[in-house]
Amino acid sequence: MIEVEHLSKIYGSTPAIQDVTFSVEPGEILGFLGPNGAGKTTTMRILAGYLPATSGTARIANYEVHEDSLAVRRRIGYLPETPPLYLDMSVEGFLHFVARIKGIAAGDRTSRVKSAMERCNLTEKATVLIRKLSKGFRQRVGIAQAIVHDPPAIILDEPTVGLDPRQIIDVRNLIRSLAGEHTIILSTHILPEVSMTCSRVAIINRGKIVATNSPEALIAQLQGGSDYELEVEGDALQLQKLLQVLPGVCMVQIVPTDILPPHRSLIRVISSPGAELGRDIAAVTVGAGLGLYELRRTQATLEDVFLELTTQEVNNGELEIRDSQNSAPSPTTELSGEEA
Amino acid sequence: MGVIIGNIVAIFRKELQSYFASPLAYLVAAIFWLLSGFFFVAILIGPGGIIDQVALVDQQGGSPQPIDVAYEFLRFFLNVMGSMTLFLLPILSMGLYAEERKRGTIELLATSPLTNWSVAVGKLLGVLTFFTFMIVPILVYEAIALSAASPPVQPAVPLVAHTGLILLAASVLSLGMFVSSLTDSTILAAFLTFSLNVFLWVIGEFSGNISGIFGEVLGHVSLLKNYDTLVKGVLDPSSFVLFFSYIILGIFLTAQSIDALRFGRS
Repeated sequence: MIEVEHLSKIYGSTPAIQDVTFSVEPGEILGFLGPNGAGKTTTMRILAGYLPATSGTARIANYEVHEDSLAVRRRIGYLPETPPLYLDMSVEGFLHFVARIKGIAAGDRTSRVKSAMERCNLTEKATVLIRKLSKGFRQRVGIAQAIVHDPPAIILDEPTVGLDPRQIIDVRNLIRSLAGEHTIILSTHILPEVSMTCSRVAIINRGKIVATNSPEALIAQLQGGSDYELEVEGDALQLQKLLQVLPGVCMVQIVPTDILPPHRSLIRVISSPGAELGRDIAAVTVGAGLGLYELRRTQATLEDVFLELTTQEVNNGELEIRDSQNSAPSPTTELSGEEA
Repeated sequence: MGVIIGNIVAIFRKELQSYFASPLAYLVAAIFWLLSGFFFVAILIGPGGIIDQVALVDQQGGSPQPIDVAYEFLRFFLNVMGSMTLFLLPILSMGLYAEERKRGTIELLATSPLTNWSVAVGKLLGVLTFFTFMIVPILVYEAIALSAASPPVQPAVPLVAHTGLILLAASVLSLGMFVSSLTDSTILAAFLTFSLNVFLWVIGEFSGNISGIFGEVLGHVSLLKNYDTLVKGVLDPSSFVLFFSYIILGIFLTAQSIDALRFGRS
């Protein structure tokens, strides 16, 4: 559905993203995780056709985002980091306007706007001016404008940033409910967010994709579980199944490589934090009758990313107390550094 | 084609609605109405106004040729309105793109299936319609004053003159829209457009004082000179061509500048 290949964007002489490659399958939610300034927004903007890439290609529904820009724009919903809202319009009026410029036929607009408002729980605010809405509601209007034309692909840039915990839960549930019929890519710098909403994660740091995986495996990897790499001879698929069921194993991958002699394969095992698996892995491998040529523990490659990510959500109760004391809402979950 | 017109209409309606919801637009309209009302009275019946002057000429024995008071009044009044337009319109055009850039809504427009120029055309039509709404009350009191003229005024003369006023406004707004697309500060946009208009006004006023081909060229490209032609009731095609050139230039530059905004640094 979304295929990104070797995408780079250079501002002047500073590269914002370099050689970014990933893909999103139809109906999937891909989380684009990375610290602030890693190049998330740049990637999102290129995908949405707002910025041209310096090199590389990005295709959505088989249209190149730059060459077939208008065709792509008809097929995407895009929520930028700050929701693009006209404050003097009512929620309904704004969504009508968006439906119109996205090319929805006049006869379908009312029903599309109505269903978008229902999905985003905005029906009771239909006639309220956007200026008068709280931040959480504005964010929902932002999401509503991204889905009002029922696009196959939805691009959400930091959809939960600046919301309070209850609003965050609402927005995440909303996003989850959109999966299946829509293909979604969302960016975030909050680690728990990806495990709660996404089926797959791509981690970006300093403009480069450093890992793509399922959220569970990546989080284990991030939180200090070690990786093991083993070179074996024999039936790698069978070994993969055996290793998968070991306690403490998060994920087993067969790493494609062409530097090994024939019949040998490279297997990577990702463990959960604290698990010591070397012994078990060796025992299982030998027990299954495979030749074990190498077994080594590799360093967690994502450590530097992890240091900069927001890794914990602020406890709901605490935040509410703090809010009522300060009366200034400070719902950011920036705990980077402290936690690591 | 239908889609493009639909898009232009969508932008036009959004833009027009935002003017009618904006206190600033009403403030501009109020100042415009106040000043134009003042000039209307001063030029027509004030001390030293047209009627006063004609009475003075009559007392001194009358002029050799009859004076068409209605025509002279219309010319003088619309010239003042033209100059006022140059100085008030930057406030209407300043937010056209600067506001979209500041609020980030430009990202919505740029990622929707719209072309840059259809957005620009829709916006220009929106602000021009608001300006047309601003001159409606003035048309009403002009109509009342001119209905007292004897012999009656030919309707074609004020029609051409006011078409000229709208074309002048459209040219100024189109350039103002381009300036607005260059920045995300509305104040800066207003200031730059204002300076540009002062410059255009100056070359219009002083082109007559510069001799030779250069002065002639300045006279031909001056908005106010060509406006004056239409205000006199002269249907000169070259004036129409000039105004439409300014309008199209503004739209073209706006579309280019939005492209450059996205394709350059951002």
